[in-house]
Amino acid sequence: MIRTGLAYHAPESTREACALLADHGDGAAVLGGGTMLLPAMGRGEKTHDHVVDLRHLGLDGVTVTDDLVEIGARTTYSTLLEHELDGVAGLFTLAAGGITGGPQVRNQGTVGGSASYANPASDMPGVLVATGARLVLEGPNGTREVPAADFYTGAFETVRRPDEFLSVIRLARRPAQVGYYKVKLSESSWPIATASAQVQVEDGRVVSGTVTLGGVCARPFTVDVTALLDESGNFRGADRELDELVDGQIEDPWHDELAPGRYRRQIAGVAARRALHHTTQGGER
Amino acid sequence: MSMLDTTDVTPDSTPPRRLLNLTVNGQRRTVECEDRQLLVTLVREELNLKGTHVGCLNGDCGACTLECDGKIVKSCLMLAASADGSEIVTVDGLGTPEELAPIQEAFWNEDGFQCGFCLPGHLFAARDLIATNPDPTDDEIRQAIAGNLCRCTGYQSIVNSIRVAAAQARAE
Repeated sequence: MIRTGLAYHAPESTREACALLADHGDGAAVLGGGTMLLPAMGRGEKTHDHVVDLRHLGLDGVTVTDDLVEIGARTTYSTLLEHELDGVAGLFTLAAGGITGGPQVRNQGTVGGSASYANPASDMPGVLVATGARLVLEGPNGTREVPAADFYTGAFETVRRPDEFLSVIRLARRPAQVGYYKVKLSESSWPIATASAQVQVEDGRVVSGTVTLGGVCARPFTVDVTALLDESGNFRGADRELDELVDGQIEDPWHDELAPGRYRRQIAGVAARRALHHTTQGGER
Repeated sequence: MSMLDTTDVTPDSTPPRRLLNLTVNGQRRTVECEDRQLLVTLVREELNLKGTHVGCLNGDCGACTLECDGKIVKSCLMLAASADGSEIVTVDGLGTPEELAPIQEAFWNEDGFQCGFCLPGHLFAARDLIATNPDPTDDEIRQAIAGNLCRCTGYQSIVNSIRVAAAQARAE
Protein backbone atom coordinates (compact mmCIF):
# COMPACT_ATOMS: atom_id res chain seq x y z
CA MET A 1 0.00 0.00 0.00
CA ILE A 2 1.32 3.41 -0.95
CA ARG A 3 0.62 5.69 1.98
CA THR A 4 1.17 9.04 0.31
CA GLY A 5 -1.14 10.61 -2.23
CA LEU A 6 -0.20 10.54 -5.85
CA ALA A 7 -1.78 11.51 -9.13
CA TYR A 8 -1.63 8.92 -11.86
CA HIS A 9 -1.14 10.03 -15.45
CA ALA A 10 -1.26 7.93 -18.60
CA PRO A 11 -0.32 10.39 -21.35
CA GLU A 12 -1.46 9.67 -24.89
CA SER A 13 1.55 11.25 -26.60
CA THR A 14 5.26 11.78 -26.17
CA ARG A 15 4.68 15.52 -26.02
CA GLU A 16 2.14 15.14 -23.23
CA ALA A 17 4.49 12.83 -21.30
CA CYS A 18 7.36 15.28 -21.63
CA ALA A 19 5.14 18.16 -20.50
CA LEU A 20 4.08 16.24 -17.40
CA LEU A 21 7.66 15.41 -16.50
CA ALA A 22 8.75 18.99 -17.15
CA ASP A 23 5.93 20.34 -14.99
CA HIS A 24 6.55 18.07 -12.03
CA GLY A 25 10.32 17.54 -12.15
CA ASP A 26 11.70 15.26 -9.45
CA GLY A 27 8.19 14.95 -7.98
CA ALA A 28 7.20 12.74 -10.91
CA ALA A 29 8.24 9.18 -11.48
CA VAL A 30 8.18 7.38 -14.81
CA LEU A 31 6.40 4.06 -14.42
CA GLY A 32 7.90 1.19 -16.37
CA GLY A 33 6.93 -2.33 -15.34
CA GLY A 34 6.44 -1.21 -11.75
CA THR A 35 8.47 -4.06 -10.32
CA MET A 36 10.95 -1.80 -8.53
CA LEU A 37 9.19 1.56 -8.26
CA LEU A 38 5.93 0.45 -6.63
CA PRO A 39 7.44 -1.69 -3.85
CA ALA A 40 9.88 1.14 -3.09
CA MET A 41 6.97 3.59 -2.86
CA GLY A 42 5.06 1.14 -0.69
CA ARG A 43 7.97 0.95 1.73
CA GLY A 44 8.20 4.73 1.76
CA GLU A 45 11.71 4.67 0.33
CA LYS A 46 10.52 6.73 -2.60
CA THR A 47 7.79 9.34 -2.60
CA HIS A 48 6.39 10.82 -5.78
CA ASP A 49 3.35 13.04 -6.08
CA HIS A 50 2.91 12.09 -9.71
CA VAL A 51 3.36 8.82 -11.54
CA VAL A 52 3.58 8.91 -15.33
CA ASP A 53 2.61 5.61 -16.91
CA LEU A 54 3.90 5.26 -20.49
CA ARG A 55 1.51 2.45 -21.37
CA HIS A 56 -0.36 4.39 -24.07
CA LEU A 57 2.75 5.43 -25.98
CA GLY A 58 3.20 2.22 -27.95
CA LEU A 59 6.65 1.59 -26.56
CA ASP A 60 6.25 -2.15 -26.17
CA GLY A 61 7.60 -4.29 -28.95
CA VAL A 62 10.68 -5.38 -30.82
CA THR A 63 11.45 -4.41 -34.41
CA VAL A 64 14.19 -6.16 -36.34
CA THR A 65 15.39 -4.82 -39.69
CA ASP A 66 18.40 -5.82 -41.79
CA ASP A 67 20.69 -3.56 -39.81
CA LEU A 68 18.96 -2.69 -36.56
CA VAL A 69 17.17 -4.08 -33.56
CA GLU A 70 14.84 -1.66 -31.82
CA ILE A 71 13.42 -2.58 -28.44
CA GLY A 72 10.67 -0.37 -27.06
CA ALA A 73 11.38 0.73 -23.52
CA ARG A 74 8.19 -0.93 -22.24
CA THR A 75 9.01 -4.27 -23.82
CA THR A 76 8.68 -6.96 -21.19
CA TYR A 77 11.13 -9.82 -20.86
CA SER A 78 8.45 -12.26 -22.08
CA THR A 79 7.86 -10.20 -25.21
CA LEU A 80 11.60 -10.13 -25.77
CA LEU A 81 11.66 -13.92 -25.54
CA GLU A 82 9.04 -14.19 -28.29
CA HIS A 83 11.62 -12.86 -30.74
CA GLU A 84 14.55 -14.84 -32.02
CA LEU A 85 17.24 -12.24 -31.68
CA ASP A 86 20.48 -13.29 -33.30
CA GLY A 87 24.12 -12.25 -33.12
CA VAL A 88 25.02 -9.78 -30.41
CA ALA A 89 21.32 -9.09 -29.75
CA GLY A 90 21.02 -12.71 -28.63
CA LEU A 91 22.47 -11.55 -25.31
CA PHE A 92 19.09 -9.95 -24.56
CA THR A 93 17.38 -13.29 -25.05
CA LEU A 94 19.85 -15.14 -22.84
CA ALA A 95 19.49 -12.58 -20.05
CA ALA A 96 15.69 -12.29 -20.34
CA GLY A 97 15.21 -16.04 -19.93
CA GLY A 98 16.82 -15.98 -16.52
CA ILE A 99 15.24 -12.88 -15.02
CA THR A 100 14.48 -13.43 -11.36
CA GLY A 101 10.87 -13.44 -10.19
CA GLY A 102 9.32 -16.17 -12.30
CA PRO A 103 7.05 -15.83 -15.32
CA GLN A 104 4.96 -13.15 -13.64
CA VAL A 105 7.89 -10.76 -13.33
CA ARG A 106 9.05 -11.64 -16.85
CA ASN A 107 5.54 -10.56 -17.95
CA GLN A 108 5.84 -7.29 -16.06
CA GLY A 109 9.45 -6.17 -15.84
CA THR A 110 10.51 -4.02 -18.78
CA VAL A 111 13.85 -3.60 -20.50
CA GLY A 112 13.58 0.17 -20.30
CA GLY A 113 12.55 0.13 -16.67
CA SER A 114 15.53 -1.96 -15.69
CA ALA A 115 17.81 0.12 -17.89
CA SER A 116 16.68 3.33 -16.23
CA TYR A 117 16.65 1.99 -12.68
CA ALA A 118 20.36 1.26 -13.08
CA ASN A 119 20.71 -1.27 -10.31
CA PRO A 120 24.28 -2.55 -10.74
CA ALA A 121 23.07 -6.07 -9.94
CA SER A 122 20.40 -6.10 -12.65
CA ASP A 123 20.92 -8.03 -15.86
CA MET A 124 20.06 -5.23 -18.27
CA PRO A 125 22.78 -2.62 -17.68
CA GLY A 126 25.54 -5.12 -18.51
CA VAL A 127 23.71 -6.43 -21.57
CA LEU A 128 23.05 -2.91 -22.86
CA VAL A 129 26.71 -1.99 -22.57
CA ALA A 130 27.82 -5.32 -24.04
CA THR A 131 25.61 -4.97 -27.11
CA GLY A 132 26.69 -1.39 -27.78
CA ALA A 133 23.05 -0.32 -27.46
CA ARG A 134 22.03 3.29 -27.78
CA LEU A 135 19.33 4.61 -25.50
CA VAL A 136 16.84 7.06 -26.96
CA LEU A 137 15.70 9.69 -24.49
CA GLU A 138 12.68 11.88 -25.09
CA GLY A 139 12.64 15.27 -23.44
CA PRO A 140 11.15 18.74 -23.72
CA ASN A 141 13.85 19.78 -26.17
CA GLY A 142 13.49 16.75 -28.39
CA THR A 143 15.19 13.41 -28.68
CA ARG A 144 18.73 12.46 -27.84
CA GLU A 145 20.54 9.18 -28.20
CA VAL A 146 23.07 8.07 -25.60
CA PRO A 147 25.41 5.07 -25.90
CA ALA A 148 24.78 2.64 -23.05
CA ALA A 149 28.39 2.96 -21.90
CA ASP A 150 27.79 6.69 -21.32
CA PHE A 151 24.27 6.27 -19.93
CA TYR A 152 25.38 4.87 -16.60
CA THR A 153 27.15 7.30 -14.29
CA GLY A 154 27.05 5.20 -11.13
CA ALA A 155 24.91 2.88 -9.06
CA PHE A 156 21.25 3.81 -9.63
CA GLU A 157 22.44 6.85 -11.55
CA THR A 158 22.14 7.68 -15.23
CA VAL A 159 22.38 10.73 -17.46
CA ARG A 160 18.59 10.73 -17.85
CA ARG A 161 17.23 14.06 -16.63
CA PRO A 162 14.02 14.17 -14.55
CA ASP A 163 12.14 15.67 -17.51
CA GLU A 164 13.21 12.88 -19.87
CA PHE A 165 12.13 9.33 -20.37
CA LEU A 166 13.67 6.38 -22.17
CA SER A 167 11.63 5.44 -25.23
CA VAL A 168 13.64 3.02 -27.33
CA ILE A 169 16.78 0.91 -27.14
CA ARG A 170 18.51 0.69 -30.48
CA LEU A 171 21.35 -1.57 -31.47
CA ALA A 172 23.15 -2.54 -34.63
CA ARG A 173 22.72 -6.13 -35.76
CA ARG A 174 26.15 -7.71 -35.66
CA PRO A 175 27.01 -11.37 -36.05
CA ALA A 176 28.67 -12.87 -32.99
CA GLN A 177 28.78 -15.97 -30.87
CA VAL A 178 27.41 -14.96 -27.51
CA GLY A 179 27.38 -16.44 -24.05
CA TYR A 180 25.82 -15.25 -20.82
CA TYR A 181 26.47 -16.31 -17.28
CA LYS A 182 25.37 -14.94 -13.97
CA VAL A 183 26.31 -15.79 -10.46
CA LYS A 184 23.38 -15.85 -8.07
CA LEU A 185 22.67 -17.56 -4.81
CA SER A 186 19.43 -19.26 -5.81
CA GLU A 187 16.79 -19.26 -8.54
CA SER A 188 14.89 -16.44 -6.88
CA SER A 189 17.95 -14.41 -5.96
CA TRP A 190 19.24 -11.28 -7.64
CA PRO A 191 22.46 -11.66 -9.61
CA ILE A 192 25.73 -10.97 -7.86
CA ALA A 193 27.68 -10.75 -11.10
CA THR A 194 26.70 -11.03 -14.75
CA ALA A 195 28.99 -11.70 -17.70
CA SER A 196 28.07 -11.09 -21.34
CA ALA A 197 30.62 -12.61 -23.72
CA GLN A 198 30.78 -12.12 -27.46
CA VAL A 199 33.19 -13.45 -30.01
CA GLN A 200 33.30 -12.25 -33.61
CA VAL A 201 34.59 -14.77 -36.12
CA GLU A 202 34.96 -13.96 -39.83
CA ASP A 203 35.94 -16.49 -42.47
CA GLY A 204 36.71 -19.00 -39.75
CA ARG A 205 39.15 -16.71 -37.96
CA VAL A 206 38.59 -14.83 -34.76
CA VAL A 207 38.35 -11.07 -35.12
CA SER A 208 37.57 -9.97 -31.59
CA GLY A 209 36.25 -11.12 -28.26
CA THR A 210 34.97 -9.19 -25.27
CA VAL A 211 33.33 -9.85 -21.94
CA THR A 212 31.18 -7.21 -20.23
CA LEU A 213 30.83 -7.60 -16.49
CA GLY A 214 27.76 -6.33 -14.63
CA GLY A 215 27.17 -6.26 -10.91
CA VAL A 216 30.89 -6.24 -10.16
CA CYS A 217 31.29 -2.47 -10.09
CA ALA A 218 28.75 0.35 -9.93
CA ARG A 219 28.86 0.56 -13.72
CA PRO A 220 29.28 -2.29 -16.22
CA PHE A 221 32.72 -2.57 -17.81
CA THR A 222 34.11 -4.43 -20.79
CA VAL A 223 37.30 -6.47 -21.05
CA ASP A 224 38.96 -7.21 -24.41
CA VAL A 225 39.80 -10.90 -24.38
CA THR A 226 40.77 -11.31 -28.05
CA ALA A 227 44.34 -12.25 -27.09
CA LEU A 228 43.02 -15.13 -24.98
CA LEU A 229 41.15 -16.79 -27.85
CA ASP A 230 42.50 -19.28 -30.35
CA GLU A 231 42.15 -18.80 -34.12
CA SER A 232 38.63 -20.25 -34.12
CA GLY A 233 37.50 -18.02 -31.27
CA ASN A 234 37.64 -20.57 -28.47
CA PHE A 235 38.90 -19.51 -25.07
CA ARG A 236 42.37 -20.98 -24.76
CA GLY A 237 41.86 -21.73 -21.08
CA ALA A 238 44.25 -19.10 -19.79
CA ASP A 239 42.29 -18.70 -16.57
CA ARG A 240 44.90 -16.72 -14.71
CA GLU A 241 45.41 -14.24 -17.55
CA LEU A 242 41.66 -13.72 -17.80
CA ASP A 243 41.40 -13.21 -14.04
CA GLU A 244 44.16 -10.61 -14.22
CA LEU A 245 42.55 -8.82 -17.15
CA VAL A 246 39.23 -8.62 -15.32
CA ASP A 247 40.75 -7.75 -11.96
CA GLY A 248 42.74 -4.94 -13.55
CA GLN A 249 39.49 -3.16 -14.39
CA ILE A 250 38.04 -3.37 -10.88
CA GLU A 251 38.93 -0.35 -8.82
CA ASP A 252 35.99 -0.09 -6.48
CA PRO A 253 33.81 -3.21 -6.52
CA TRP A 254 30.08 -2.88 -5.89
CA HIS A 255 28.68 -4.25 -2.65
CA ASP A 256 25.13 -4.84 -1.54
CA GLU A 257 23.22 -7.13 0.82
CA LEU A 258 23.99 -10.14 -1.37
CA ALA A 259 27.75 -9.96 -1.44
CA PRO A 260 30.64 -7.74 -0.39
CA GLY A 261 32.94 -6.16 -2.94
CA ARG A 262 35.81 -8.55 -2.26
CA TYR A 263 33.60 -11.52 -3.14
CA ARG A 264 32.50 -9.88 -6.36
CA ARG A 265 36.12 -9.21 -7.25
CA GLN A 266 36.94 -12.86 -6.70
CA ILE A 267 34.13 -14.32 -8.77
CA ALA A 268 34.21 -11.80 -11.63
CA GLY A 269 36.87 -13.76 -13.52
CA VAL A 270 34.95 -17.01 -13.03
CA ALA A 271 31.78 -15.46 -14.43
CA ALA A 272 33.74 -14.11 -17.42
CA ARG A 273 35.30 -17.52 -18.08
CA ARG A 274 31.97 -19.36 -17.97
CA ALA A 275 30.30 -16.82 -20.26
CA LEU A 276 33.20 -17.25 -22.71
CA HIS A 277 32.81 -21.02 -22.62
CA HIS A 278 29.12 -20.60 -23.43
CA THR A 279 29.94 -18.69 -26.63
CA THR A 280 31.03 -21.98 -28.17
CA GLN A 281 28.98 -24.40 -26.11
CA GLY A 282 25.62 -22.64 -26.28
CA GLY A 283 24.50 -19.85 -24.02
CA GLU A 284 23.33 -20.82 -20.60
CA ARG A 285 22.15 -18.78 -17.73
CA MET B 1 -10.75 6.83 -17.58
CA SER B 2 -11.95 9.93 -15.81
CA MET B 3 -10.25 11.79 -13.03
CA LEU B 4 -12.63 12.46 -10.17
CA ASP B 5 -10.29 14.85 -8.47
CA THR B 6 -7.84 16.81 -10.53
CA THR B 7 -6.47 19.02 -7.78
CA ASP B 8 -2.76 19.01 -7.22
CA VAL B 9 -1.82 16.69 -4.43
CA THR B 10 0.63 16.80 -1.62
CA PRO B 11 1.50 13.74 0.42
CA ASP B 12 -1.02 14.78 3.06
CA SER B 13 -3.95 15.76 0.91
CA THR B 14 -6.88 13.63 -0.20
CA PRO B 15 -5.59 11.24 -2.83
CA PRO B 16 -7.06 11.57 -6.32
CA ARG B 17 -9.53 8.93 -7.38
CA ARG B 18 -10.84 7.68 -10.70
CA LEU B 19 -13.24 5.26 -12.29
CA LEU B 20 -11.96 2.11 -13.93
CA ASN B 21 -13.72 -0.11 -16.43
CA LEU B 22 -12.66 -3.72 -16.10
CA THR B 23 -13.78 -7.18 -17.08
CA VAL B 24 -13.34 -9.34 -13.99
CA ASN B 25 -13.86 -13.09 -14.20
CA GLY B 26 -16.03 -12.55 -17.24
CA GLN B 27 -18.15 -9.72 -15.83
CA ARG B 28 -17.95 -6.06 -16.82
CA ARG B 29 -17.30 -3.95 -13.74
CA THR B 30 -16.97 -0.22 -13.19
CA VAL B 31 -15.14 0.48 -9.99
CA GLU B 32 -13.69 3.49 -8.25
CA CYS B 33 -10.12 3.49 -7.04
CA GLU B 34 -7.54 5.80 -5.59
CA ASP B 35 -4.71 6.66 -8.00
CA ARG B 36 -2.23 5.25 -5.51
CA GLN B 37 -4.10 1.99 -5.06
CA LEU B 38 -2.39 -1.24 -6.03
CA LEU B 39 -4.31 -3.68 -8.18
CA VAL B 40 -4.19 -6.31 -5.42
CA THR B 41 -6.03 -4.08 -2.95
CA LEU B 42 -8.58 -3.06 -5.58
CA VAL B 43 -9.34 -6.71 -6.27
CA ARG B 44 -9.67 -7.59 -2.61
CA GLU B 45 -11.30 -4.47 -1.19
CA GLU B 46 -13.31 -2.90 -3.99
CA LEU B 47 -14.18 -6.06 -5.93
CA ASN B 48 -14.39 -8.19 -2.79
CA LEU B 49 -12.50 -11.09 -4.35
CA LYS B 50 -10.50 -12.47 -1.46
CA GLY B 51 -8.78 -15.36 -3.23
CA THR B 52 -6.00 -13.02 -4.35
CA HIS B 53 -3.73 -12.56 -1.35
CA VAL B 54 -1.57 -9.74 -0.08
CA GLY B 55 1.79 -11.25 0.76
CA CYS B 56 5.14 -9.56 0.55
CA LEU B 57 4.09 -6.48 -1.47
CA ASN B 58 7.51 -6.76 -3.05
CA GLY B 59 6.95 -9.05 -6.01
CA ASP B 60 8.66 -11.98 -4.34
CA CYS B 61 5.95 -14.31 -3.05
CA GLY B 62 3.42 -14.52 -5.89
CA ALA B 63 0.38 -14.78 -3.57
CA CYS B 64 -1.23 -11.82 -5.38
CA THR B 65 -0.94 -13.40 -8.83
CA LEU B 66 -3.80 -12.95 -11.28
CA GLU B 67 -4.20 -12.85 -15.02
CA CYS B 68 -4.37 -9.46 -16.72
CA ASP B 69 -5.06 -9.41 -20.46
CA GLY B 70 -3.92 -13.00 -20.79
CA LYS B 71 -0.63 -12.60 -18.91
CA ILE B 72 -0.08 -13.71 -15.35
CA VAL B 73 1.15 -10.85 -13.20
CA LYS B 74 1.83 -10.03 -9.58
CA SER B 75 -0.91 -7.56 -8.75
CA CYS B 76 1.14 -5.91 -5.99
CA LEU B 77 3.44 -4.64 -8.74
CA MET B 78 0.66 -2.85 -10.63
CA LEU B 79 -1.27 0.28 -9.92
CA ALA B 80 -4.97 -0.40 -10.29
CA ALA B 81 -5.20 2.60 -12.61
CA SER B 82 -2.81 0.87 -15.03
CA ALA B 83 -5.34 -1.94 -15.42
CA ASP B 84 -8.11 0.31 -16.77
CA GLY B 85 -9.78 -1.40 -19.72
CA SER B 86 -8.18 -4.76 -18.92
CA GLU B 87 -9.63 -8.21 -18.68
CA ILE B 88 -8.77 -9.76 -15.35
CA VAL B 89 -9.09 -13.34 -14.16
CA THR B 90 -8.49 -13.97 -10.48
CA VAL B 91 -8.04 -17.31 -8.75
CA ASP B 92 -11.72 -17.03 -7.81
CA GLY B 93 -12.53 -17.25 -11.51
CA LEU B 94 -10.51 -20.39 -12.27
CA GLY B 95 -13.21 -22.79 -11.14
CA THR B 96 -16.01 -23.18 -8.62
CA PRO B 97 -16.14 -25.28 -5.43
CA GLU B 98 -18.44 -27.66 -7.29
CA GLU B 99 -16.36 -27.72 -10.44
CA LEU B 100 -12.69 -27.10 -9.84
CA ALA B 101 -10.42 -26.18 -12.72
CA PRO B 102 -8.17 -29.10 -13.74
CA ILE B 103 -5.13 -27.55 -12.09
CA GLN B 104 -7.09 -27.01 -8.87
CA GLU B 105 -8.36 -30.58 -9.02
CA ALA B 106 -4.79 -31.88 -9.27
CA PHE B 107 -3.63 -29.77 -6.31
CA TRP B 108 -6.64 -31.00 -4.31
CA ASN B 109 -6.11 -34.67 -5.13
CA GLU B 110 -2.34 -34.61 -4.63
CA ASP B 111 -2.33 -32.56 -1.41
CA GLY B 112 -0.58 -29.81 -3.31
CA PHE B 113 -1.17 -27.21 -0.63
CA GLN B 114 -1.35 -26.85 3.11
CA CYS B 115 -2.52 -23.40 4.20
CA GLY B 116 -3.28 -22.35 0.62
CA PHE B 117 -2.01 -18.80 0.94
CA CYS B 118 0.41 -19.17 -1.97
CA LEU B 119 -2.08 -20.96 -4.22
CA PRO B 120 -2.89 -18.08 -6.61
CA GLY B 121 0.70 -17.90 -7.82
CA HIS B 122 1.30 -21.63 -8.01
CA LEU B 123 -2.00 -22.35 -9.77
CA PHE B 124 -1.59 -19.62 -12.38
CA ALA B 125 2.09 -20.40 -12.99
CA ALA B 126 1.29 -24.10 -13.31
CA ARG B 127 -1.62 -23.48 -15.66
CA ASP B 128 0.58 -21.23 -17.82
CA LEU B 129 3.34 -23.82 -17.93
CA ILE B 130 1.08 -26.69 -18.95
CA ALA B 131 -0.55 -24.57 -21.66
CA THR B 132 2.80 -23.97 -23.33
CA ASN B 133 4.70 -27.09 -22.29
CA PRO B 134 2.40 -30.11 -21.92
CA ASP B 135 5.15 -32.46 -20.73
CA PRO B 136 7.42 -30.45 -18.45
CA THR B 137 10.38 -31.92 -16.63
CA ASP B 138 10.60 -31.42 -12.88
CA ASP B 139 13.30 -28.84 -13.52
CA GLU B 140 11.01 -26.93 -15.87
CA ILE B 141 8.23 -27.09 -13.27
CA ARG B 142 10.55 -25.71 -10.63
CA GLN B 143 11.64 -22.90 -12.95
CA ALA B 144 8.01 -22.05 -13.75
CA ILE B 145 7.06 -21.69 -10.08
CA ALA B 146 10.25 -19.88 -9.11
CA GLY B 147 8.33 -16.64 -8.63
CA ASN B 148 6.21 -18.08 -5.81
CA LEU B 149 7.05 -18.72 -2.18
CA CYS B 150 5.32 -21.39 -0.08
CA ARG B 151 5.85 -20.67 3.60
CA CYS B 152 4.60 -24.19 4.41
CA THR B 153 7.57 -25.33 2.26
CA GLY B 154 5.43 -27.89 0.48
CA TYR B 155 7.31 -27.61 -2.77
CA GLN B 156 7.61 -31.35 -3.41
CA SER B 157 3.83 -31.73 -3.27
CA ILE B 158 3.38 -28.69 -5.48
CA VAL B 159 5.79 -30.04 -8.11
CA ASN B 160 4.06 -33.41 -7.92
CA SER B 161 0.62 -31.83 -8.34
CA ILE B 162 1.77 -29.98 -11.45
CA ARG B 163 3.33 -33.13 -12.86
CA VAL B 164 0.03 -34.95 -12.34
CA ALA B 165 -2.00 -32.07 -13.81
CA ALA B 166 0.21 -32.08 -16.92
CA ALA B 167 -0.20 -35.84 -17.33
CA GLN B 168 -3.98 -35.54 -17.01
CA ALA B 169 -4.07 -32.74 -19.56
CA ARG B 170 -2.07 -34.89 -21.99
CA ALA B 171 -4.42 -37.82 -21.44
CA GLU B 172 -7.52 -35.80 -22.28
